[in-house]
Amino acid sequence: MRVRIALPAIVVLCFSISAVFAFQAQFKQYPGEEDNPTTVPPGAFERTEWTFARLRYPSGRYTEYAGERGTWPTDFPKADRQFLQGVRRLTRIHTRSTEQVIDMNTDEVYNWPWVYAVEVGHWDLTDAQVKMMREYFLRGGFLMVDDFHGTYEWEVFVASMSRIFPDRPIVEIEDKDPIFHVLYDLENRVQVPGLQYVYSGKVYEKDGVVPHWRGIYDDRGRLMVTMCFNQDDGDAWEHADNPQYPEKYTSQAYRLGINYIIYAMTH
Amino acid sequence: MFELLFKYPPAVFSRGHYLLLAPLPVWVLLLLVIAGGALLFWNIRRHAHLLSQVRRITIWSLETALIALLLLLLWHPAISVATLRPQQNIVAVLLDSSRSMAIKDEDGQTRFDAASKLLHNGLLDSLGRRFQVRLYRFGADAERVDQTRFFQPPDANVTRIAQSLRDIATESTSLPFGAAILLTDGAENAGGIDFATIQRLRQTRIPVNTIGFGKDKLRRDVEVEDFAVPQRTLAGSRIEARVALHQTGCTGEKARVTVADGDKILASETVDLTHENQAVPLVLNAGPAGALNLVARVDPLPNEDNVQNNALSRLVNVSGRKPRVLYVEGEPRWEYKFIRRAADDDPQIQLVSMLRTTPNKIYRQGVSDPSELEAGFPAKPEELFAYDGLIIGSTEANWFTPAQQDMIKEFAGRRGGGVLFLGGRFALSDGGYGATPIAEMLPVHLPATQTTFQRVYSNTELAPAGLDSALTRIDDDPVKNEQRWKKMPEIANWQAVGDPKPGAAVLAEIIPPGHRKTPLLTTEAYGRGRTAVLATGGMWRWQMRSEHTDKTLASFWQQMTRWLVNDTPGTVSASTPKQVLADEDKVPLRVEVRDKTYQPLAGAVVQAHFIGPDGVNATLQLQPAASETGVYTGEWTAPRAGAYLAEVTASNPSGEIGRDVVTFRRDDGVAENFRSTQNRDLLEKLSAQTGGHYYTPREARHLADEIAYSEAGISEHELLDLWDMPIVLLLALGLRGSEWLLRRRWGIV
Repeated sequence: MRVRIALPAIVVLCFSISAVFAFQAQFKQYPGEEDNPTTVPPGAFERTEWTFARLRYPSGRYTEYAGERGTWPTDFPKADRQFLQGVRRLTRIHTRSTEQVIDMNTDEVYNWPWVYAVEVGHWDLTDAQVKMMREYFLRGGFLMVDDFHGTYEWEVFVASMSRIFPDRPIVEIEDKDPIFHVLYDLENRVQVPGLQYVYSGKVYEKDGVVPHWRGIYDDRGRLMVTMCFNQDDGDAWEHADNPQYPEKYTSQAYRLGINYIIYAMTH
Repeated sequence: MFELLFKYPPAVFSRGHYLLLAPLPVWVLLLLVIAGGALLFWNIRRHAHLLSQVRRITIWSLETALIALLLLLLWHPAISVATLRPQQNIVAVLLDSSRSMAIKDEDGQTRFDAASKLLHNGLLDSLGRRFQVRLYRFGADAERVDQTRFFQPPDANVTRIAQSLRDIATESTSLPFGAAILLTDGAENAGGIDFATIQRLRQTRIPVNTIGFGKDKLRRDVEVEDFAVPQRTLAGSRIEARVALHQTGCTGEKARVTVADGDKILASETVDLTHENQAVPLVLNAGPAGALNLVARVDPLPNEDNVQNNALSRLVNVSGRKPRVLYVEGEPRWEYKFIRRAADDDPQIQLVSMLRTTPNKIYRQGVSDPSELEAGFPAKPEELFAYDGLIIGSTEANWFTPAQQDMIKEFAGRRGGGVLFLGGRFALSDGGYGATPIAEMLPVHLPATQTTFQRVYSNTELAPAGLDSALTRIDDDPVKNEQRWKKMPEIANWQAVGDPKPGAAVLAEIIPPGHRKTPLLTTEAYGRGRTAVLATGGMWRWQMRSEHTDKTLASFWQQMTRWLVNDTPGTVSASTPKQVLADEDKVPLRVEVRDKTYQPLAGAVVQAHFIGPDGVNATLQLQPAASETGVYTGEWTAPRAGAYLAEVTASNPSGEIGRDVVTFRRDDGVAENFRSTQNRDLLEKLSAQTGGHYYTPREARHLADEIAYSEAGISEHELLDLWDMPIVLLLALGLRGSEWLLRRRWGIV
């Protein structure tokens, strides 16, 4: 009799456990690592087609100024959530109100075909992460990197990137590329500065005077990696509600980010 | 023995009409029988104390039966039967001269020799004594011959019984044919005897008597009975082939079935022979554009009686055309990306897509020119029907106008295209499709609720109908294919789509955690086209969760889009029911001509241009079919064996409407290798339906006497008495004698 009762209970329990693990990864907070904390908005746990997936990469030996937490959470999570508000309002993309942090020590990245990484002028990927990211791109994943400036940070970025794709060049993305037209026409782009512009009046940092929109293409001419070099779109999203930060930079950062998402979902 | 007891042969009783000749009505007879029975019952009740109830009833029954018999004889029973007048009627003797009659399975002699022997040993003589006998050999048709030619060895390549009987029926219009006698194995190659032939024979009232030769079953044989493949497909597509085997005496053995193009084996499978008839499904790749000559073959087994029936050929027209599929997606999502990627890798498909990125903006990809779909989803049938296939993603039903919804329905129904509906948060039930005309074309009954879309990772597996489908084939090996479906990464989401409609096929299923299985991929034929529902927008995880070298998802989507368009007809659509002419030369053509809105078009000039072996080059003008608007038919004679191509063009005064290509081949000397056992069932039915009888060679001795009773030809009606049949006397004595014996035994004599 006990077996008769226990067996259905076990079956139900197994179903319940499997049901819990059958969902996409849920929103999770990182209290000690938030760069610019903000409230958790309603709908944080909704399951949606897309959300802002932030890569939690190791900064390794380049973390001298960022401390133990590294550089991955720069502008986090306010930039993410403010950008998400724009994506929700301006497009038909089904997205939740909160970001998803993708830990590079797991294979969770394969569930998020669009990821964002900030301050990649300080990243330092392990061999396993290099291998995983190469596989991720070849399967169809897309990476937007942002907020790195000047010669030194470029070299640090390339040091890891060239281990992912030693065989593929990094090229300037031409104005006619669909990524600049998929939703908004963005032939006339400007350099988007960080918050430091409000205090310094300079649109560039370090020796990164000239902005670049660079990328790595796959064999079929589709962008896998896009680099907003000598720019800080993350700050533009983060300070979209800052009256001192110029609206024109925020607008372009939103348009560019949305174009990059829709491009990734269509190519 | 029968005639000794019943005075007349059985044919008299089976073909005659029964009569009672006495002037008194039948009801008087019945009344007297009842009165007699009652009287006897009253009488026997008087001696109730002497007998038990069972014994009283037994005695009463025997006495009543005797009274009834005697009264019946007083009413003068007789039989009226039509008999052929001696020497005034013709009997056609048709001897099968096809090559299957040379098979040696009649006690060590050939079927033909057995038939000749039967005719020589008295049958022809007995027929000649009563009728004028005409001799015919038949194969493709009936040919009247003299005795010398009549008995020459069989040499015809085909057996067409229906055609041969129609020849006899035609002759009978001017001659008094009393009966036809068919000596044959019934191994018919023309697909049976059609109803029109039976009707014609019934009108002439000629009974067809058949004498069957040959064994019903071979001792040991495996035959490729049928080989089904589509008539046309796109280059590089997977083809579903079905090889039907018929075997006798080989149950429990293994047989290797292959499908080859020349020397190149495209698919093979070793099967256990478990049933007399079994089908072997195979999936193979069509390869590049051109005519594909496929041969399905089963390797000969040791000591097989007939190895000539182990292979069948078919022709597949592999087209190099590039059909266009329109994909409408209502929201940016990952599935869209991977569908596009799969199409970009497919040289045979042009995927034109429109994606609603914002409420009012549409992003178009794959368009032929910048103006294509500039105004949104097509508003006119001719614009929508320019595509061959249609995919509708996560798009609210009310985004389409009512006219567009009707057009989507007609896209499959009238245009003959394929329409695929994807799952999504704005799709199917959740998108409000249940209340639109589109619901009618779906292969499922949509649930009434609007919360059917779930973002829950779920496993998938093949449904029974999907095991042999080319659409769900992600591994060439069918066993591995089934396992791979189970091992594929979970899909990202699923949608409840309700139960499949009658006639729909569920090919794959979702196993959602905590829920019962639900259809993933359901297909059905709708109107001239086909529809499918793929109840997810989350197949993309198959790619993101598999190695980048794994192209399973791309293959799946390429197969899916090709399925949508493979059979989509153009404005001119030509076909033939006989792609392989097995010892035939006449190829019928049927061409459907439609305008740009795919309404049937009358008044077109339709021509077929044939190109064949050894420089055969001919043109045929097709004629409008009497009963169907927009259909044009014709028949052409292929002069020699080989592969043919017919290019069909249709035009009207305003120019060319369209064109299509049909391929076919003529094979000589093959038909008689198949279905070579005696088709007794066919012969019995033929005889039964024409008023004749089926005979074994042994039973045929009395045939001459029996066929005399016929209403065909010049006949007269005879009235034959039945009261004086010996059986009547025996019956009366038997009844009386039984009663007497029983009375003696029970001591009441």
